[in-house]
Amino acid sequence: MALIEVVNFKKSYGSKIIHEDVSFYVKKGECLGLVGGSGAGKSVILRSLIGLEKPDSGKILINDIDIVPLNEQELTPIRKQVAYAFQGGALFDSMTVFENLAYPLRAHTDLGESAIAEKIHHQLAEFGLEKSIHLYPGELSGGMQKRIGLARAVIMQPEIILYDEPTAGLDPYNTKKIQDLILRLKAKGVTSILVTHDIPTAMAVCDKFAFLKDKVIAEQGTIDQLKVRDNSLIQKFIEGNIL
Amino acid sequence: MSQPVDLPAMITNRVKEPLEFLGGVALLAKDTFKELRTRPFYGSLLVDQIYLVGVKSLPLVLITALSTGMVMALQYGLGLEKFGGKPYVPRLVASTILREMGPVFTSLMLAARVGAGMASEIGSMVVTQQIDAMRALGTSPIKKIVIPRVLACLIVLPLLVSIANLVGNFGGLVVGATELNLDAQFYFRRVLETSNLKDYIAGFGKTFFFALFIALPSCYFGLNVKNGTKEVGIATTKAVVTASLLILVGDFFLAKLFWVIEKWL
Repeated sequence: MALIEVVNFKKSYGSKIIHEDVSFYVKKGECLGLVGGSGAGKSVILRSLIGLEKPDSGKILINDIDIVPLNEQELTPIRKQVAYAFQGGALFDSMTVFENLAYPLRAHTDLGESAIAEKIHHQLAEFGLEKSIHLYPGELSGGMQKRIGLARAVIMQPEIILYDEPTAGLDPYNTKKIQDLILRLKAKGVTSILVTHDIPTAMAVCDKFAFLKDKVIAEQGTIDQLKVRDNSLIQKFIEGNIL
Repeated sequence: MSQPVDLPAMITNRVKEPLEFLGGVALLAKDTFKELRTRPFYGSLLVDQIYLVGVKSLPLVLITALSTGMVMALQYGLGLEKFGGKPYVPRLVASTILREMGPVFTSLMLAARVGAGMASEIGSMVVTQQIDAMRALGTSPIKKIVIPRVLACLIVLPLLVSIANLVGNFGGLVVGATELNLDAQFYFRRVLETSNLKDYIAGFGKTFFFALFIALPSCYFGLNVKNGTKEVGIATTKAVVTASLLILVGDFFLAKLFWVIEKWL
């Protein structure tokens, strides 16, 4: 059964059409790699999946609920299930790492401060970031900011995680760390969509791919299907032969 | 060769922008007052904003009020001296400060300092996706960002204006005593005898409107930053200019409104 389903998604900004008719689905526990050239509108789809943007038309079903007509308040329960790992971490720069991680817990749970502290220590230990607990985002490297952004996104134990370029601009060490984190979360049964240009990471973590080109999903399939397919657009994209 | 001027498009854009602003601020105000009635309340954020808006602005407000009072006493004194009207200086200074100069100058200073700060801070949060992160984490930027700032302005501005009124009159008294050779006790007594509650209310009542004129446009321009850091600067300028214009233009209509109210009382 599909946990995420996008049906006839259309989006434009003014007269500029970004997506004409995009449809795809992701089953429970799967990881979909959403790939395409720069400016293809991958992040627009990802942002729409959590209601940060509204499509012009089409449906976005999360657990069979169409989130397109929902207002900000109605989206809150959906946003507790769906986590968004922002490209730059999007940490609150006026708060410490501890406060950043405590933010969703204080907003959505009845946990006391000691239980929150315990949960945060546990989470940071799992991500190998215990030492940064009292630091501000400005004192962290880009890789650490992304990992803490990810730690904050998953602290509510969401069913779905949307990764927006999680390894962009990172060195191989930090890329490997993020890759391992995604794999660990996947092993726990989390469903995810990964938007990335980092093909080795995508190949390592994704079960299937969707290739955005010319405002539509030009090709989609599992890695095994793509490997045996003649003239596969995704293969050509990966090899750098098309944009 | 120069491009032909597309006059209808130019006019449309000129009209569209203020209309978008009015509509946007109206919607923001509606959402703000709607969410004000629902839980949760972020008391600590409000306290932070009261500190930033109020305590941090106090030195600026004190200097502005003191110099305004001193200049007014000096100008009124020099002007009225020819007609033997120096004894009227305390009354004139007090009335002008209480009704107009205290609220308007304090609000303008706050628009410059606080309005710019709000628009640039919120704009930077938009650019770095912190506002998106708030929404993605299931929390409301209106509750976390807008409400504490609007409430802080509504609480702090009347208090700052009250302090500015006192300090402005003190400035007038100092100049009256030192430059105009008026007896300090006479000056003080005249201020108390001739100023009345209506003067105070006419000025004080405006401050609640001015607080909204500062906070709502500043939050609106900050939240509507779209194209990166360059627009943060533009939003900051727009916030200060718009808040200042609203205060100055709004002051006329509010003065008329309170004039009508005074007649009823």
